[in-house]
Parts: sequence; structure tokens; C-alpha cells
Amino acid sequence: MTVTRITERPLGTRSVPLLTDPDVGHYPEFSDFLVATFDLADKQLDAPGLLDVDGHVYELIFIGRSGRPFPAGVEIAALVPGLEPLDPDQTDHDLWAILEWLVAGVGEPWSVEALRTTGRIYRVIPADS
Amino acid sequence: MTTIARTINDLGPHVSIRYPFRSKFVNVNGWRMHYIDEGPPNAPPVLLLHGNPTWGYLWRDTIPPLLAAGYRVIVPDQIGFGLSEHPHSASAHSLDNHASNLVALLDQLDLNGVFFVCHDWGGPTGLAALLTRRQRATAVAVMSTWAWRTPASEFHRQILPWRLMQAPIVGPHIMARQGAFPGRGIYLSVVDRERYRRDALPAYEAVLPDPDDRRLTWQWPRSIPIDPSTDITGERFEWLEAGLRELNIPATIIWGREDDVFALDVMGVRWHDIWPHAEGPHLVTGKHFLQEDSGAEIGQLLVEFAARHLPIPEHG
Repeated sequence: MTVTRITERPLGTRSVPLLTDPDVGHYPEFSDFLVATFDLADKQLDAPGLLDVDGHVYELIFIGRSGRPFPAGVEIAALVPGLEPLDPDQTDHDLWAILEWLVAGVGEPWSVEALRTTGRIYRVIPADS
Repeated sequence: MTTIARTINDLGPHVSIRYPFRSKFVNVNGWRMHYIDEGPPNAPPVLLLHGNPTWGYLWRDTIPPLLAAGYRVIVPDQIGFGLSEHPHSASAHSLDNHASNLVALLDQLDLNGVFFVCHDWGGPTGLAALLTRRQRATAVAVMSTWAWRTPASEFHRQILPWRLMQAPIVGPHIMARQGAFPGRGIYLSVVDRERYRRDALPAYEAVLPDPDDRRLTWQWPRSIPIDPSTDITGERFEWLEAGLRELNIPATIIWGREDDVFALDVMGVRWHDIWPHAEGPHLVTGKHFLQEDSGAEIGQLLVEFAARHLPIPEHG
């Protein structure tokens, strides 16, 4: 699966929240990667970041918190057409692809292979991922 | 507005047969805390404290020997777990707030002469509460837990799997959306996995049904001091260790022989360094969740220890 940053928000979609992490700076290299990827140093409370995962689009809504470096947190939401229901299996596949994209972007000592092994240990890695 | 809280009986016979106690609730720091309080009210109280991601049910086989010996047994569900309230605010789940919740419990039940029994996060929270209400404590037992800034354990230093499974964005997905804790996480840390799957897993999953309920399963791991860049609790752990070194009450150490999360050869030595007078370590069959494999044996060890230090009043 391919994860690509895009800038055009698809028309006619609604935002479906999937998960929230209030503390992306717990390991600072993760928030550093998000800042660099989405130009957050210059544009803090701008439009959400957008990721295309094989045609499915997800938005990253960055959250500020008083006294904390920006972004303090992030909410990931699926952009779903119209009033169509969310496909939970597809979403799990796509979220896993986003996790791999994130960990690969953060880089050593974090690795996609370690993430996949963690997923296998806890049996949370989607089939075919 | 009236809040209808779930009780043990609401979880069905699978749970209530194995945990046949009456649900009680107390307000701590504005949160609804579930607990059980069994045995004679004037008997020495034994406070059993669980950690992540369990609830009072963890102690189900440990409780009967203590009750049979005549003790009063109090088992709270930490806020965020079990049948207690599950706050969705990250700030609710600081180590200090959780420790204070137990201080509030001690105060509201006006418990004195307490035998603190601490497992996992029941250690840092319960021992911090003990130091805050030192006058209420008579004895202490620790099992598969810690109370110092560093090193936590080798397991917690490793990226694979521990640091990865609670890393930013990864943690909320693996541990909350996918429910790795309590499911697979406990399963891998017990010896008799088939018995755990049959007797216990449904009880742990039933109280954390939705991803938002599982917030603390990934947030608490982030409170373990690992290195300066991520350390949000270091000063509290330094205070904790210093206070415990000055604590001179009867203590006992109980550990699982197969514990690969808090390895005995490191942790047992460290506890004896803090409390040279402590008994043990008494070894039982078990990994990190040793109560799942040896709950009744642990109960008997606690009874034997308590009999020497918390005698039951003859006419109690």
C-alpha cells in the first residue's frame, strides 16, 4: 500500500474520527517528523494534513495545548464520501499503512520491521498487510 | 442526573460466579470508583491493588484465603479500569492523580492498620498513597512492580515490542482500537494460557468494551520512566524511592518464577536493597500476571505473613 501526502481535500466527504493521540511528543522524534512533513513550524493551525492511502483519504488534525510544543496531539479521521458508512476492515488496513509510513519516516531506531513484528506478536496486523 | 453504574452482577454469571462480591462505589477526586469490601468491618484491612490493564477480578483467587482467615479485604478498581469510571481526559491519568485517588479511598473508608498489597501499577500508585498516609499503614507486599526512576526493567527499555506498542499514534491504534491490552497482552504474560482464555479473558474484555475505555492501557505505559526525553514521572519516582527507603514496616516480596517483564534477578534484588528487612522473595508459578496462575497460593502466603504482623482480634 502506498501512503502519499496530498493537499487537495476531496469534495463531498465527511470526517469520521478514528483515533486521537493527545501526546505525539511523548517520543519527540514522532512530532518532529509530523512538523517536517506537514510544514507545521510555519503553519500551525492551518488546514489538516492529508494522506492518500491507495485512493482513500485521511486527515490529520493537529491539536495544540497550552504550555506544550505544537502539535501536542493529533486526531486521525477518515474522509468518507457523502453519507456512506465507514468500511472498518479497509480502515484498519489503511491505518496500518499509515503507521508503517509514520515509523519509516521517523527512522532509526524505529523500524517498519519492528512494527510488523509487534503487530504479529499482538495479532493486530491486518491480513495481507 | 442519575448515573447508572455497572456492577459485578451486570457482567453476567461468568464473572459473578468467580468474583461473587457486592459492588460498592465511592467518589474519589470527582471520579466514580468501584470497589469491594468484604469480611468483618473491624478486622485488619487488606488492600489489594491491581495495575494495567486489569481490575479487582485479578485478585479473585487471592481473596478467599484472606477472608477465611478473618481479614477484611478491600479491592478497588483503579479509575480508568474495571467498573470504575473511565475518564477520557489524558490529564486525569497522571500518576499523581491515580495515587491521590487511592489516598481519597483510604480517607473516605477511614482505613487504619492497612496491609497494602501492590501489583504492577498498584505499586507506584499504592505506595505513593501509603507514603502520603503513612499513619494508616501496617504492612506491605509487592509483586511484579517497581518504585524507582531508573532502570524500570530491560523489557521496558526495548523498542520491540514495548516502546513501539505505546508510541505516538501507534499506541492508540494497537492498544485501544485493536485491544491488544487486555487481550493478547495478558495472554502472553500468564503460564496457563488456556485457563486464562477460558476463565479470565472475558472478564477483562467485558469492562473495557470500547477503544475509548482502553485509554489508560496505552497512557500508563508512557508514565514509566525510561529516558530523560520521555520522562514525565521521574521526580515522583525519586520521591517514592526515597520515602520507601525510610519506611520501616513489615514487608514481603512475592514474585512469579517465570516473570519476564519484571525479572526477579533484577527486581527482587532492588526491593531487598530498598527494604533489607523484607521477607522473600516467595516464588510462585507465574509470569507478570502471577495471580492468574497462583492466586490462591498468593492468598495463603499473604495470610501467613499477615498472621505474624496483623493479628486478628480475638473477639473481632
